[in-house]
Amino acid sequence: MGYLFNPDNWEWLTEGNNLRFLLEGFLVNLEIAAVAIVFSLYFGLLLAMLRLSRFRPVAVAAGVWVDVWRNLPLIFIILYLALALPAPWKDFYENNVPGFFPEALQSGRVFAGILGLVLYNSAVLAEIMRAGILSLDRGQGEAAASLGLTYPQQLRYVILPQGLRRMVPATVSQLITLNKDTTLVSIIAIQEVMRHGRILSSGFTAFTGGAAAPLLQVFIFIGALFVVTNFALSRLSRRLEIRERKRTGGTAGPVMGLEDQTALAAETS
Amino acid sequence: MTKIKLWRALIAMALAVAALAMAACGDDDDDDGGGNGGGGGGGQTEEAQQFPAGSTMAKLQDRGEITIGVKYDVPPFGFKNPQSGEIEGFDVDMGKLIAEELGVEPKFVEAISDNRIPFLQQGEVDLILSTMTINQERDMEIEFSEPYYIARGRILVPGDSDIKGIEDLAGKRVCTALGSTYEETLREEAPDADLKLVDTYSECLELLQNGAIDAISTDDVILTGMIIQDDTLKMVGDELTTEPYGAGIKEGDKEFQTFVSDTLEAAQADGRWDDTYQKWVGQYINKQAQPPEMTLQEALALG
Amino acid sequence: MTELWEVLSEHFPELSSGFWVTVRLVAISFVIAMVVGTAVAALRIAPLKPLNWVGAVFVEIFRNTPLLVLLFISFAGLRRAGVPIDAWVAGTASLGLYTAAYVAEALRSGVFAVGKGQIEASLSLGLDYPRTMRYIILPQAFRTVIPHLGSLTIAMIKNSAIVGVSLLALPDLLHQARLVNSRTFATNETFFWAAVGYLILTLIATVVVRRLEVRYAIHR
Repeated sequence: MGYLFNPDNWEWLTEGNNLRFLLEGFLVNLEIAAVAIVFSLYFGLLLAMLRLSRFRPVAVAAGVWVDVWRNLPLIFIILYLALALPAPWKDFYENNVPGFFPEALQSGRVFAGILGLVLYNSAVLAEIMRAGILSLDRGQGEAAASLGLTYPQQLRYVILPQGLRRMVPATVSQLITLNKDTTLVSIIAIQEVMRHGRILSSGFTAFTGGAAAPLLQVFIFIGALFVVTNFALSRLSRRLEIRERKRTGGTAGPVMGLEDQTALAAETS
Repeated sequence: MTKIKLWRALIAMALAVAALAMAACGDDDDDDGGGNGGGGGGGQTEEAQQFPAGSTMAKLQDRGEITIGVKYDVPPFGFKNPQSGEIEGFDVDMGKLIAEELGVEPKFVEAISDNRIPFLQQGEVDLILSTMTINQERDMEIEFSEPYYIARGRILVPGDSDIKGIEDLAGKRVCTALGSTYEETLREEAPDADLKLVDTYSECLELLQNGAIDAISTDDVILTGMIIQDDTLKMVGDELTTEPYGAGIKEGDKEFQTFVSDTLEAAQADGRWDDTYQKWVGQYINKQAQPPEMTLQEALALG
Repeated sequence: MTELWEVLSEHFPELSSGFWVTVRLVAISFVIAMVVGTAVAALRIAPLKPLNWVGAVFVEIFRNTPLLVLLFISFAGLRRAGVPIDAWVAGTASLGLYTAAYVAEALRSGVFAVGKGQIEASLSLGLDYPRTMRYIILPQAFRTVIPHLGSLTIAMIKNSAIVGVSLLALPDLLHQARLVNSRTFATNETFFWAAVGYLILTLIATVVVRRLEVRYAIHR
């Protein structure tokens, strides 16, 4: 225990470039998460819509796609893509990635990581969104139809807004999970916080001068970075959900308390 | 658009913008540190050679940079300096020599044993210089340059260990990297050893230092790099294997292979190799080394 | 096409040993997750504030930290601090505790679904709090959340792959797939078979959960 709290073991935080080196790595994680969540939300919604399509073949095909990606380990998907992604795809990415994207996201390997994250999370989010939409009372859809709205209009103005709103906590929970999953790209040699943490606690200082940081403390610090970030995100989700409750005076149909939604979020992580 | 969806979109975009803003304010690369600054656009120097159009060399000159896969955690051959963010080492310097010869900027990326060959095959990197041993199995997938360094396989153990050589490894936990040649070697020579395979040698070192394994087996230069980091460790045993290092070039690209081999041989002849050796290896161990005499054919014949 | 079967037949021992290591890993972690998760859930719903707080801290820490970081801390970090923890212990403990946080939250929702009324009724009949939990509330809570627990098990099967690629060097299915790949360079074929392995496991878990649901689940 003493080892943990001994202030000498925390001195590395103030030495040289160490703290900055770690935070730079963490920034890469956040950047990857931001890009991945945007695309995952978009494709997740698309997949959910396909799943709910009234064309059986389309719904079934989308269902198979979602089930395959949801059931594979994310690290598996990322590793496979890193090893097997065809060169033309990487070139396409490198040629088309916007110039304003940060340096770390310019290389083709990050594309494998981001693609893996998006393939997996869009499938998971598709299921969350579909559950949200389906949990809506049939009555809503029927009422909308009786008012003369076509199916696309029903979706757009009545069903989707309410269905998706129910899924906000579950979606933010997935965002938190995605944030954690960005550490997996360290396995495909992307220089993010885990790699930087390893370098800081390695003995390279024999070549570069200075002292190696103690491994336990470095990784506890990295863990703390994630806990703080993710905890803030989950707080945000609670506030959004409370605002929503205040606005609509509770959701229609079976009451989905925060606990249920947390459990639902737990199940989809 | 509902309020919540709008909020979510706004938050996502705000995060992205904040991240970009912070990245724009920072001035280090965190993915790779080029020797003279990564990134394209470098022009050709006055003395750069002209190459046949369509050859890899000409393409690289057009692009202005060459992407080289090196190790980021194997001093003294390739490692990332946490203070400067730069990549340094013997392999790195060899890479800089080749880039200089082409008149382009070198850009370094991390190539771990497991993924370096796929990266080359996919065009992710143009050249590999990452302590890669020449052998026939790999030669079927890529082209090798002439050997530029000869390393020997050895075993590293804690200072107080009673392991004296490969014979003593039975029942002991031995670590090496996934995808390295030592895996086969150890399975043949020490079939009763308990093999632990990890991504990178720095992980092996970590496991040795915290007692989770009993020995590491790999090239002597890598082990020397570890001893420099932790002088309580010692190298034991006879030389297990001969490991000629070769640069990795994409399969079929004979022109580039010739160019790289010629450049490396020129460096061996005119003393740059000796200087690099002295800077990275010689000053730490009191061993003189000669540039390799072996040819690629001989190296392949070894295994 | 023949290469697909060649890879399997020539490297079946490595791949199947990886498969069984994954099974072992998941099985042990499952037990840890259930036991610890139940305990933490009990803390969370206990009528004593300090206990609630302890449970909440556990949940927040283990839910918000990436598994890879947990693995590093529990194995490399603790060993550096002098604790001689072994790779299997660190791996199963990390995966188990990580999942336990989610199990605790799932059980908590299950208990709420059972309802305060039952707790009060049971207490008024003279049963003390621990007995109430043990005989009345928790059994029903478990049965309510069977589907959730099933999803968590599937998540655990997927997360076990992370243990295999970390520096713990446990030779699980993904680790062995990378091994075979580094020898044969037949990436597509090797990873295909590894995917089959993982899908078999998740399929079995899904089927088992469905059976349990049919027999035991309470739908509220």
